Amino acid sequence: MTKAKRLFLSGGIFILALIIFIWRPTILIYGIQRAGLYAAVALPMALVLGIVHIVNLAHGELLMVGAYLTYFVSVTFGLDPLIALLPVAVVMFLLGMVIYKLTIKHTLKAPELNQLILTFGLAMVLGQSVNLIATSQPRTLTVDYVSTSLSIGELTFGVYDFIFPATALIILGGLLFFLRKTRVGKAAQAVGQNPRGAEIVGIDVDKIYLIIFSLSTALVSIMGSLYLTKQSIFPLVGGPFTMKSFALVAMAGIGSLPGVLIASLVLGVSETFLLSFKGYGGWSNIVFFAFIIGVILIRSHKGKQI
Amino acid sequence: MKISPKIVIFLIIILLSIAFPFFAGPYQQSIAKNVIIYMILALSWNMLLKTGQISFGLAGFFGIGAYASVLLSLKLGIPPILTIVLGGIVTSLVASAMGMIILRLRAMYFAITTLALGEIFRVIIHNVPNFAGGAHGLILPGVIFDGNGLYTYWLFLGAALFSIGLSYYFDKSKIHLALTAIRDNETTAKVRGIDIFKYLLIVFTITAGMQGIAGGLYAQSFGFVTPESSFSGDFILLPIAMALLGGIYTTAGPVVGAIVLGVISEYLKLYIPYGHLIVYGLIIVIVILFMPNGIIGALYVKIDGRKTFGKVDQPNE
Amino acid sequence: MKKLVVLVLMLALVTVSTTLVFAGGQEEGGSDQPIKLGGVWPLSDITGEQGSKAAQQAVDEINAAGGVLGRQLELIILDSEFKPEKGAAAIERLATVENVDVFLGGMASSVHLGQIPILKKYKKLTVWTGAASHLAENAIGGDADWYFHLHPWDYQQGGSYVDGWEDIIGKYSDIKVDKWFLAYEEGPFGSASFESSKVLFSDMGDFDGESFKSAAAGGGDYKAVLQHAKESNPDIFLWAGYGADALPLLQQSKAIGFEPALYVGAPPGWPADFGSSSLAEDVFLYGMWAPAMNDINPVSKKFYDGFVEKFNVIPATYFAPLSYSAVYLIKEAIERAGSLDTEALITAMEQSKYKSALGETITFKPSKVIKHQGIEGQKILQWQNGRQEIIWPFEFSTGTPVYPFPGWENR
Repeated sequence: MTKAKRLFLSGGIFILALIIFIWRPTILIYGIQRAGLYAAVALPMALVLGIVHIVNLAHGELLMVGAYLTYFVSVTFGLDPLIALLPVAVVMFLLGMVIYKLTIKHTLKAPELNQLILTFGLAMVLGQSVNLIATSQPRTLTVDYVSTSLSIGELTFGVYDFIFPATALIILGGLLFFLRKTRVGKAAQAVGQNPRGAEIVGIDVDKIYLIIFSLSTALVSIMGSLYLTKQSIFPLVGGPFTMKSFALVAMAGIGSLPGVLIASLVLGVSETFLLSFKGYGGWSNIVFFAFIIGVILIRSHKGKQI
Repeated sequence: MKISPKIVIFLIIILLSIAFPFFAGPYQQSIAKNVIIYMILALSWNMLLKTGQISFGLAGFFGIGAYASVLLSLKLGIPPILTIVLGGIVTSLVASAMGMIILRLRAMYFAITTLALGEIFRVIIHNVPNFAGGAHGLILPGVIFDGNGLYTYWLFLGAALFSIGLSYYFDKSKIHLALTAIRDNETTAKVRGIDIFKYLLIVFTITAGMQGIAGGLYAQSFGFVTPESSFSGDFILLPIAMALLGGIYTTAGPVVGAIVLGVISEYLKLYIPYGHLIVYGLIIVIVILFMPNGIIGALYVKIDGRKTFGKVDQPNE
Repeated sequence: MKKLVVLVLMLALVTVSTTLVFAGGQEEGGSDQPIKLGGVWPLSDITGEQGSKAAQQAVDEINAAGGVLGRQLELIILDSEFKPEKGAAAIERLATVENVDVFLGGMASSVHLGQIPILKKYKKLTVWTGAASHLAENAIGGDADWYFHLHPWDYQQGGSYVDGWEDIIGKYSDIKVDKWFLAYEEGPFGSASFESSKVLFSDMGDFDGESFKSAAAGGGDYKAVLQHAKESNPDIFLWAGYGADALPLLQQSKAIGFEPALYVGAPPGWPADFGSSSLAEDVFLYGMWAPAMNDINPVSKKFYDGFVEKFNVIPATYFAPLSYSAVYLIKEAIERAGSLDTEALITAMEQSKYKSALGETITFKPSKVIKHQGIEGQKILQWQNGRQEIIWPFEFSTGTPVYPFPGWENR
């Protein structure tokens, strides 16, 4: 893209955003909040897909397990979930290591479909185990601050949800820093681009995979904890996140972390845009998928065979 | 033609499966029918996989076939068997139109696009109440053959044999050569003058039709369609798991995988009523870990002493 | 040659697996054998899990008291896995392998739609506790005299709410319900509520509504629908969704400052610890049973105490007492019939007058299509001090309504 074109495009988007903001400010507010949740959950998947090259179908289930652990830690020790989040993330990092060492490591040489179905099996085991232990009855933590609202003139909206875009930005910033500035991160990027080449130059590919997978498990568990503060959890709560994240990562293009944020923003705002028209909410599901297909097709049209 | 022992055994299996209702009860027959539904899905998915394309559109085509079949019976009064076939044709037509646009995509991008299209079909049907029953779905006044188990079983078996035959034919015909060439190395295939797109479109259309037929069978034998059950995600990953567990790139693999997983799941729940799906998931994990080439692949390695079976490296990305 | 071996192995595999499925009790029920009941529930869901356990509890109680006709009862529980084809296969197994005398169970209309053709094939006494969709009623049809449906149909539930609110505004004149807003989840459950309510409530004033994506289906963002509800400023705000929607809806309502005078939820079950949230206070709800019933109904108390003692958890869904009632209905019918002959059982079932744990004395009357419908409506309850109090029908009431719904700041 030329510079002029880019300027033109971003100017157009800014004006569009301004119009929407003046016309119906809630579209933008809720859209950004929604996009934040999408992006923060999808980023760890993009990380694993970009570096370990596996589609982790247990992604959402790991979020769910993190949320349940947070729930039980909070209830047992009377902790605020936002504090319980940290020890849980550590435990989930270890769980990620165990899962990697026991299962995923051994399928990396096999066709990618094996990893897909392996993680599908893992998702089933995780989901059904939690179901057996905790039953399917939804569980909820009541935290007062989640309903904090702000009134500007006629407009009243919840502010707590901005925690999701904020977390997304922190995760993205942290990951980019990690990948670009740290030794392990640079090595991880090298592995992501060319595992064989990385091996030749002496990078311990297996260790990188282990770190990246466990890191992503810990990150998605943090999102599980945050999700718990806002929503009820139940054993199947993670499933839809797997698919949404997968779709977002595909829309962003594999390996592009900032792309995930942009894709989430576009989808989040357009969904809330449609939802703001009464009675058309049911169609917002189509927007999500139509956008994804559209973007993938347009990109493929530009000559690149993807 | 020389009668080889192979053909004899095939014939025995076919005869046994035709005679199955005479030595098995209605419960065993209904399990067999459920297995067949998943077997057709697994087989057709595997047929497309042979070209290197991974489809997640199974549930979408299954649902289209189911709805087309039910709508054709309800609105036009066409006999059920015919609507199943027509449902398959409708699905094929939809798929070929889609294929024109999306078959350019590869690997994960193709997978996610087929998944998204399936979801779009479901949402459309869900949100258009006057056309296809909306969120509630539709019921048929009766089920196929008035619920006669014997005829229904044979119809299912016929569909299964047809699918196996089709898959086998694809393995043996010229299409197979072209397809393997695409999977192994698309660029070389192009250079050799193979019209990749044409072959992909043919296979995509045919396999979607098979999935539509499976949907029609399901709808006509249970007598209803609903958006949630007819487009259920169960019809995507379970058949793929079955194909993989049996052994991909072969015709026998998906067949064996569907039988094994279908029967095991019935078994587990008799002994572990609460929580049997944990064990089911564990079985999938363990088989993938210890039999990366599936059951058929493992058998070949055992017998052959060969380390590899078929082509196990990644489909081109 | 290797292919031959593979084929032989495959053949062996097929034979072994079919014979394995074969294995199962084929013995005929003699007079010293237990009377077999076959139940199908989605066991991975709390409704099916607790429903099946409550049915087992009833069977154990009956057996401890000497059984029926001098014989013990045996309950065979199979998982429908929420899949129509699995639910249908389970019925086939119960009918042919287990040779049960009665079918019971049930939850989820789409599973039931798959089972109906099979149930019609065997025409055994069937007592069903779930499936509210009118499509299921149509699929059963008017001549299935062996079919007894306990759960109210979707349109009956809607009808009972109309009656309920009319009674409530008649008795408590300060309560106003002229303007309605129904937020409903976009699946069949919510859509059915909306469609039936729209027709039924049109006489009761201004009725409006919009769908949302339930948290149970990957949604959970209700701001748009709540915003529209707030703009329409209803006297009564209802939502028809699932348990997972309950608290987030309240939190988001609070966040956008939406305070209707009546806040009513209609999920099939509530989340654990919902009552302990300050936001839950004075939320109305629709349901068939609550532990408060124990105060006024000894059967409910017996059921509740027995359940807690046996399973060490509190029954969290009305499917538990419903399934419990189904077993007792069957037991009493067998006693009246004096045999297991289906015709005699049907006649005996028709004479049922069972004082159930749900409050109602269950009898069977024709509904729109089928001949034998048990319970015809739900109840209106309210969360008060962390407990569901029954408000309507007044004959079962354990509390009086608190009105209006207190503002968010006063909690």
